[in-house]
Amino acid sequence: MPSYSTDRRGALKIISAIGATCAYPYSSDELYGQTVEHHHENAPAAPLPDKPAFFNEADFGIIARIADLIIPQTSTPGAIAAGVPLYIDSVISRNKPQQQLAAEGIEWLAKKNFAELSESDQLAILQPLCDAADAGDLKSRPVQFFQMLKNLAVDGYYTSQIGLIRELGYSGNTAMAEFPTCEHEH
Amino acid sequence: MPSKLYDVVVVGSGAGGGTLAAQLAQSGADVLVLEGGPKIDTRTDFNTHALPFQFPNRSIPVMKPGKQGMESERTRGVGGKTLLWNAVALRMSQRDFKGREHDGAGEDWPINYRDIAPYYARIEREVGVCGNLDHLEDLPDGIFLPPVPMKCTDKIIQAGAVKVGVKVIHVRKATLSRGTRIRPACHFCGNCMAGCDVVAKYNSADVQMYPAIRAGKPLTIRPNSIVYELAVAPDSPRVGEVRYFDRVTREQGSARGRITVVACACAQSVALLLMSKSPSFPSGLANSSGELGRNFVPHITCGIAAFLEERIGAPPVNDEGFLDHAYIPSFMHDRKRDYSRSFGYQFNYQNHRAVGWARSIKGMGKSFKESVKAHYPAYITFTGYMEITPNRDSYIDLDYDVKDRYGLPSARRHWKLSDEDWRRYRAVQDWGRQILTASKSEILSVSDNPATNHEIGGCRMGSDPNRSILNSYCQAHDVPNLYVVDASAFPNASEKNPTHTIMALASRAADHIAGRLKKGEV
Repeated sequence: MPSYSTDRRGALKIISAIGATCAYPYSSDELYGQTVEHHHENAPAAPLPDKPAFFNEADFGIIARIADLIIPQTSTPGAIAAGVPLYIDSVISRNKPQQQLAAEGIEWLAKKNFAELSESDQLAILQPLCDAADAGDLKSRPVQFFQMLKNLAVDGYYTSQIGLIRELGYSGNTAMAEFPTCEHEH
Repeated sequence: MPSKLYDVVVVGSGAGGGTLAAQLAQSGADVLVLEGGPKIDTRTDFNTHALPFQFPNRSIPVMKPGKQGMESERTRGVGGKTLLWNAVALRMSQRDFKGREHDGAGEDWPINYRDIAPYYARIEREVGVCGNLDHLEDLPDGIFLPPVPMKCTDKIIQAGAVKVGVKVIHVRKATLSRGTRIRPACHFCGNCMAGCDVVAKYNSADVQMYPAIRAGKPLTIRPNSIVYELAVAPDSPRVGEVRYFDRVTREQGSARGRITVVACACAQSVALLLMSKSPSFPSGLANSSGELGRNFVPHITCGIAAFLEERIGAPPVNDEGFLDHAYIPSFMHDRKRDYSRSFGYQFNYQNHRAVGWARSIKGMGKSFKESVKAHYPAYITFTGYMEITPNRDSYIDLDYDVKDRYGLPSARRHWKLSDEDWRRYRAVQDWGRQILTASKSEILSVSDNPATNHEIGGCRMGSDPNRSILNSYCQAHDVPNLYVVDASAFPNASEKNPTHTIMALASRAADHIAGRLKKGEV
């Protein structure tokens, strides 16, 4: 059965959410070559691999830790829960220049005993890299390394079910009987 | 035994080829359509409703697993680019057809607005175009279905634009805002460009060609037929044979028509004529003028991204709609400026499943996450569209060193902005900044790199056979039984999306062909 809900102004009639089956508001059974039921398929997430394809366990731990610091768990799940480290691993496993940059970055961090440090000490290392990347100052390899990981973490998180739907509240890909009229004063 | 002689053989099945083929078949002509790509079922074959997390690499393939189509620019599928277009349907105006007369720049068309207006109307009735009657000189009104309401974000930009004297109107699209007997109205799922699986959005296969076939009209479609040569009869300047090979089996074949129509989408149409060399036409078919491939005037776009301050931190809403619901029509024709012609903006067409802009949010950690979430409902795209005037550095030719997967030379595009085109581009940037600033926006980026969009020109129509390839009916000056009906025929681009004009020109050419067939001229 289609489920109906209305927004706060009652103007918007959502006929279905993702995965629900909806009925068109037409009596005709001659809709383009199909029945009046229009089905938006369920969208299960692709399963993640069990283990990284490229990084060894220690290096993968560092990658995962950085992803976790860039997008931590807050009131919503963060990068780890969204499987972002495995996404990063899968992208880098297909890209030679990224592999080289990752190796250099991990070695640079290893010299600072990054994995053993407290969170505040880890952030003290990463924050200047982040600031430099934000300022567009990409001369140093560690900054390039950080920017690569931030870009990949952001891509991986906000294209995940957790990031896109739970965190951001994406609610498109639905069937509406009519498009809501905006009644704000602009 | 010679192969069957069709009245008309059409190469390509998109907006131009599909419109013309269906109209001619409806008038009783025996029509064969040769399409390089496979037949596609729009209901089942596209990944219309997919989301990125369904795919390990987070990239959504166009086709569902095992379904063929859209594999190369020579082999898209039956329906061509209309299967995946965004459906913006704008009439060009008298000033667009007579740019040289009005601005002293570009090239005049050999037709006036009044010559094509009835065909715009015919197309609007046939395919269904929604829009508002705005009474603008540079964007003529049409026969419209009711417009779709603007988004909240459109109204914010509308209120800002009006402060700097710029008008925002409802977009005009070949997407149904009201259902018909056989097509439902749009249901605003936001996936227009992933292939509309209910055909609320027009495509030439489901709206024009298949209904003609179902009605028993003499229309045959041969998919998977890659045409590589139009062979000229030895004794007369006429196309004798259309030569193709099968995309799958590579088996060769040929077809014959009293009339041959080329409609392969601009660059591919030019490429086919350039490949069709013969003793009569050593530099390409219908190219006695040497202008074939010249006068390539693709649309130039300037991409702008911004966050609307009023929407930062607001609750997210589902406003995917049918992508862009509003449009900024050309407004510079009557204002003081140091360049010819004008430009327009398409905006707010982003789909909220794409969050690539989040990379540019500064910082890391909890504050970063909160900032992305706050900016999410505020992100908009805003893109200027402008023409370039024809210049000798903008043309299409063949690259025999780079063959495509079928061993055919690839079509190569060359384009360059003149100093005047650059001044127009700077104005597109400046007005974009002004409109968005007046709309209270954080501007994220304004592109300094002009990019091409809709491909236009290369096979232009004109009244002088020494300076053009086609006459005003899209008929080749040199080859009386050859027509070209796509955007390659346009002498200038205007800032308007070309598809509506392609369909209207195709319909006008179809009338011309039907008249000649009736009179026994061919």
